Amino acid sequence: MEWIKSNLNLFKANFRKETIELRRYLPNTIAMLLTVYIIFMAMFAGIHSVGAPGTVDATIQNTIVNYIFWYLTITIVNGQGYEILTEATRGTFEQLGMSPSGIWRILSARLLAQGILTAAMMIVLLYLSMLTTGQSLNVDFVTIIPIFLLTCISMFGLSFIIAGLTVIVKQIQAFLQIFQFVLAALTFVSLSRAPFLVFFPITKGVDMIRAVMVEGLTLNELGFSNFLVLTTNALVYFIIGLATYLYCERYAMKKGLLAHY
Amino acid sequence: MDSIIEVSGITKVYQKRKTKEKIQAVDNISFQVKRGEIIGLLGPNGAGKTTTIKMICGLLKPDSGQILINGVDNEKHRLRALTHISAVLEGSRNLYWRLTVRENLEYFAGNRGVSRKNVASRVEDLLQKFRLKDKETELVNRLSRGMQQKLAIAVAMLADTEVILLDEPTLGLDIETGYEVREILKAIAKEENRTVIISSHDMDVIQDICERTIIINQGKVVTDDRIEDLLKLFEVRSYTITLGEHLNEKQEHLIKERFLDYQYESNRIQPKLSVELLKTEDIYQLFDILKLNETPVEAIDREIIQFEQVFMKIVKGETTNGVDQVKSQSV
Ligand SMILES: Nc1ncnc2c1ncn2[C@@H]1O[C@H](COP(=O)(O)OP(=O)(O)O)[C@@H](O)[C@H]1O
Ligand SMILES: [Mg+2]
Repeated sequence: MEWIKSNLNLFKANFRKETIELRRYLPNTIAMLLTVYIIFMAMFAGIHSVGAPGTVDATIQNTIVNYIFWYLTITIVNGQGYEILTEATRGTFEQLGMSPSGIWRILSARLLAQGILTAAMMIVLLYLSMLTTGQSLNVDFVTIIPIFLLTCISMFGLSFIIAGLTVIVKQIQAFLQIFQFVLAALTFVSLSRAPFLVFFPITKGVDMIRAVMVEGLTLNELGFSNFLVLTTNALVYFIIGLATYLYCERYAMKKGLLAHY
Repeated sequence: MDSIIEVSGITKVYQKRKTKEKIQAVDNISFQVKRGEIIGLLGPNGAGKTTTIKMICGLLKPDSGQILINGVDNEKHRLRALTHISAVLEGSRNLYWRLTVRENLEYFAGNRGVSRKNVASRVEDLLQKFRLKDKETELVNRLSRGMQQKLAIAVAMLADTEVILLDEPTLGLDIETGYEVREILKAIAKEENRTVIISSHDMDVIQDICERTIIINQGKVVTDDRIEDLLKLFEVRSYTITLGEHLNEKQEHLIKERFLDYQYESNRIQPKLSVELLKTEDIYQLFDILKLNETPVEAIDREIIQFEQVFMKIVKGETTNGVDQVKSQSV
């Protein structure tokens, strides 16, 4: 009971911090929302000009799904890297290190908060742009939500790997910039074209979501084996990610790297 | 259990990233802190104070040695050990600059698993006590350095831990805020059940607040004593003797040979001789030398030594250990 309560408080504090920062930098937030909205609109407009009215062109629909996940992944994975970089330079990261909750738990709370906020914003914008363009996508929430959550778990795992690297490598910025493209590959390339990507995080989940949204597959049609692969992938990446992070943290504590100044 | 903190033989060597040069920041440091004690870690810049504090906070692993916090090994059970301590590290680097004063307090409490509701009254209390109430909605990056420091201390206080560590709490503050922070620290020190460790290179701060001081230099503990006793120890040994006549060469030579830190001001009518004695009884040796030429003694003064001088002497290597060594040689 105590344990649940303290974790809930930890989550609430971090969720609050995220929302405060979104509000405090309102012009940034609005600019970001507007950009995403315009991109959605542009993609829907593409459907309009390419496909026949009412029937949605598959490639463009694919692109929309890809874009949503790419955006989410960048926020969660690279965002974590940049945030730790800032905190290590500022010195607040050491402060997190003195919390009896453990840094990894605080980072998890943040990831969850960011995941929820970003996903919520994307969904609202998606619906908003469907409304404005009069186009529609097949959004079967019952099927999508479990896939989405499992995909997020592998995303969190990847994010912890980046977090660990950021803690021990000072010049990570250049790497993070390049890593954006790796993340793009993981979200944009379909498994039918590169089957080995099933062993990588995120890709399998995005592939399944595309199957739902583009081909209209349901939970049953996707089948048990697909979910087994997705679940295994998510758990493996989460565990690898967390282990990597904790290893890097120990290393940083040996070498005195928690603060970058 | 008597000691809340037991540091045994901790050592830390840093390796510079580029040059691979090794720096022994902490070299076999041991000390114990009793519950409710107010301890000063005093030492010049680069002595190893911050490194020691970070190891106690579990932010840095010692290369060897062990740290027990309330009996809990802070390496084996890091998070459990952390429930007993909070700290303010050096500089104003421990706050979120984009959050307000109040948001910082609440966020850090949340990270320890405590809800806003649960800390509400204590947050009010601390805002009043630290005179930050009228700044509670101000962003931290708009606060003065002194206010930031006060907030950082308030954040540490809010954690309500038995032990609180403060690394150079008055560094970089103007005189007035420095004074205010000191008063706050004294008030904290008076609170029951708080064990406080303050590091500083400024002996004034330590003398003002702490009961006991551990002086470290080049990564080693050079003394660990009550400030009162340290002062006594040195005070008793410093004598200034006003003479009726000048010393002759032989006398001067003998004094130079036998006494450590001697000063002879001969360019006045009544020459003054200042000596440091290893033991009080050594004064008789001095009298013997004076007697050789029947030099008249006009007055003997025991010099009052300021803590600052004690500190300088200790850091210069004239340690109590050093004194013991010389003592055994002269016997
Ligand atoms: N992260 C680090 N990497 C390399 N050397 C360091 C690091 N931190 C401190 N040092 C060195 O270790 C010694 C002790 O530093 P520190 O503990 O900060 O001393 P103090 O706090 O007493 O001024 C100094 O020589 C300092 O330059
Ligand atoms: Mg220091």
